[in-house]
Amino acid sequence: MMNEKGAHPEPGDFGPLADDVSQVLYTAAEIGERVREMGQAISQDYNGRRPLLIGVLKGVFPFMADLLRAITIPVQVDFMAIASYSRSTRQQGFVRLQKDLDEPLEGRHVLFVEDVIDTGLTLSYLLRSLRARGPASLEVCTLFDKPQRRLVPIPIRYKGFDLPEKFVVGYGLDYRELYRNLPFVGLLKADVFGRDNGV
Amino acid sequence: MQERTAENNSPPIFAHTIEEEFARILDYYGIRWEYEPHTFALEWDEKGRVSRAFAPDFYLPDQDLYVELTTLRPKLVTKKNRKIRRMNELYPEINVQLWKRSDLRNLMLRFGMDDHAAAIMGTEAQDDE
Repeated sequence: MMNEKGAHPEPGDFGPLADDVSQVLYTAAEIGERVREMGQAISQDYNGRRPLLIGVLKGVFPFMADLLRAITIPVQVDFMAIASYSRSTRQQGFVRLQKDLDEPLEGRHVLFVEDVIDTGLTLSYLLRSLRARGPASLEVCTLFDKPQRRLVPIPIRYKGFDLPEKFVVGYGLDYRELYRNLPFVGLLKADVFGRDNGV
Repeated sequence: MQERTAENNSPPIFAHTIEEEFARILDYYGIRWEYEPHTFALEWDEKGRVSRAFAPDFYLPDQDLYVELTTLRPKLVTKKNRKIRRMNELYPEINVQLWKRSDLRNLMLRFGMDDHAAAIMGTEAQDDE
């Protein structure tokens, strides 16, 4: 996304959405540059192996889209969706797949792409499930890492940025399903929490 | 000291609702846990009797990790911080994480449980810790 000047969009371009952000942690330009570097590294490391990139909806989709376009080797992509822990899903007592992969994993070089790794609970569950499907290799790529509150260790092959232990939004990260479309990542203002409509 | 786990039929009696919610989250993602399974001596009197001890709320055996939760305001967490510092001195091989109320609030927000988040610390936050 570009503004009228041809540069990356600025927070001011996003009106009330950006007004809810108290501090920009990583600009669109910084994210774009880092994603390009990660794409180059993946292109080198996986050359000749036709990796399958897997993401979990919904938060990962902006990063996946940009990362894919920064990778210069043949690559496939697939998505899965799970029901995260919530008031409605906790009664069933375990993670339920809402959308499984379309591609078989057996013998494939799989790169699991995440927007952010925090506690590691969701990812560890998914990695256990994917390993059971017999991939030739299974590595993790995340744009953002919040290692301070990691409950389950996650080996990360590619990492973009560390994030502080704060609630952040933008570039796919949401609060009540909003703010995913911000091209930068930032902290939400305190008074946003508890609002009825989020904005 | 209580030695009750999620696998037992009788769930532990949690000291705080946030502990119960935390246990549910661990169950949901298939993480084994024990509730206050171990007590660590921190100080002894002149006769060698334990005078101060610490029992972290959760132990995750597969991760070999202890987790202590607190919803206390930052100014009141000093005592707990001291205990964890002392634990690190006496038992450096033991991994303990202290989850402060801002961490718990963020966890609840991430799972869309805004009422739990608000109950932990109201709608202020983010800026104050």
